Amino acid sequence: MRVTVTCLLLVTVSLISATAAQTASTQADFDTAFAAAQAAEKEAGALKNQWLPTEQALSAAKKAAAGGDFDTAIDQAKQAEALARASIAQAKEQDTAWKAGIIR
Amino acid sequence: MRAAHLISFAMFALVFAAPARAADTVDPSAEFKAFRDYFTQKFPNVPLNDFVNGPYSMDADLRKQWEAIDDFPPYDFAVDRGKEMFATAFKNGKTYGDCFDNKGIGVRQNYPYFDTNSGEVITLELALNRCREANGEVAYSYVKDEMASLTAYMAFTSRGKPFDIKIPNDPRALAAYQNGEKYFYTRRGQLNFSCASCHVQNPGNHIRTEVLAPALGILAAMPIYRSEWGGMGTISRRFVTCNSQVRGVPLQPQDEDYRDVEYYLSYMSNGLPIAGPGARP
Amino acid sequence: MSGQQLAFDRSKGNCLTCHEIKGGDAPGNVAPALPDMKSRFPDRKELTAVIYDETKRNPLTVMPPFGRNLILTDEEIGAVVDFLYTR
Repeated sequence: MRVTVTCLLLVTVSLISATAAQTASTQADFDTAFAAAQAAEKEAGALKNQWLPTEQALSAAKKAAAGGDFDTAIDQAKQAEALARASIAQAKEQDTAWKAGIIR
Repeated sequence: MRAAHLISFAMFALVFAAPARAADTVDPSAEFKAFRDYFTQKFPNVPLNDFVNGPYSMDADLRKQWEAIDDFPPYDFAVDRGKEMFATAFKNGKTYGDCFDNKGIGVRQNYPYFDTNSGEVITLELALNRCREANGEVAYSYVKDEMASLTAYMAFTSRGKPFDIKIPNDPRALAAYQNGEKYFYTRRGQLNFSCASCHVQNPGNHIRTEVLAPALGILAAMPIYRSEWGGMGTISRRFVTCNSQVRGVPLQPQDEDYRDVEYYLSYMSNGLPIAGPGARP
Repeated sequence: MSGQQLAFDRSKGNCLTCHEIKGGDAPGNVAPALPDMKSRFPDRKELTAVIYDETKRNPLTVMPPFGRNLILTDEEIGAVVDFLYTR
């Protein structure tokens, strides 16, 4: 009887864990992705080169997360981070490349 | 004997050859000339002073439309309002005129200037708000109608006077000029445009149906009544809008970079007449 | 969105702002018109590269880098290329 109950408990716990592992993205997953995007956008801000689409993606991410749609929210957060990184790359390259256009 | 002559000549050439230009040596007066020559050579049929009319100097059809509305200029209301604001004292009894040379009449062409005391570029819009704050009044928004009215009136009193922007012999002033130049040529926004992309590389061309203005003289007619906006726009408004149009997050109005690029562009337009306030499509 | 819609939409390719393209209205003239694309760009990879990032070929170009700056996805660029090959 004891062994059966323990087995049952073990099986139940395993099932619950397995289910949790297969669950779609969580608040915690979103928080991580959003924090990364925000950090990148902050770096772009320090370079005075933020893009409007980055801000739009961050807003969309926040809104989706507030509505519990973490899949969309994380997707938007990752998009925001990619955009922010592209804007950082642009600023760093332009720091010297801008001279190419000077009228001489 | 021949070899000795060759060696002497080589040494002579080395001594008297032009020294390599240091990477960061900047010569604003040489750049001013190159800038002006670029536009006058690109548009040999445009009289120099006409560049201040922006797209109208580039497109004859557009010019005709502009001349048609000039009997009843859409910015008149702003000039009248600005004149009234100038005549109205602050709560403490002082007026705008007390903050400027010549009571603020006929001085617009001297802005921006580099203030060696504070080590920064002072634009007309900044000077007006500092005047307000120094006299106990709240600053105006840089992008809305009150600032447009004040600068419209001041520009109007300077109509025809040539831009007279100075770069004092101060490394900070030169740094501001260079920073403005850098801002002007730096690509920004998701669309990857610099100011030069449109206003140096494509003046006279059109994006969809809008004719692009040349950078030479581009601030001379500010502030403008823009039909597209259905209202007046200050220099601050224009910079903010341009940033948004290339999908860049705009800076705060009168950010140091905005003031420096206004300084650079105004210096490049030295000698060209104030034409503000202006009207644009 | 179809390739044509992507090309003409202001929030996507917005190609008409600078290019005259058959089927589009009120084009700009900043850049060359785009007829005969199949014969002018027989190599699809070349045309794709121009849209992806023309600054690689011409550092002073005013063509936005639609791929590098994430303006269009790779699929969207492919659809635009397909569309341009019909012009």
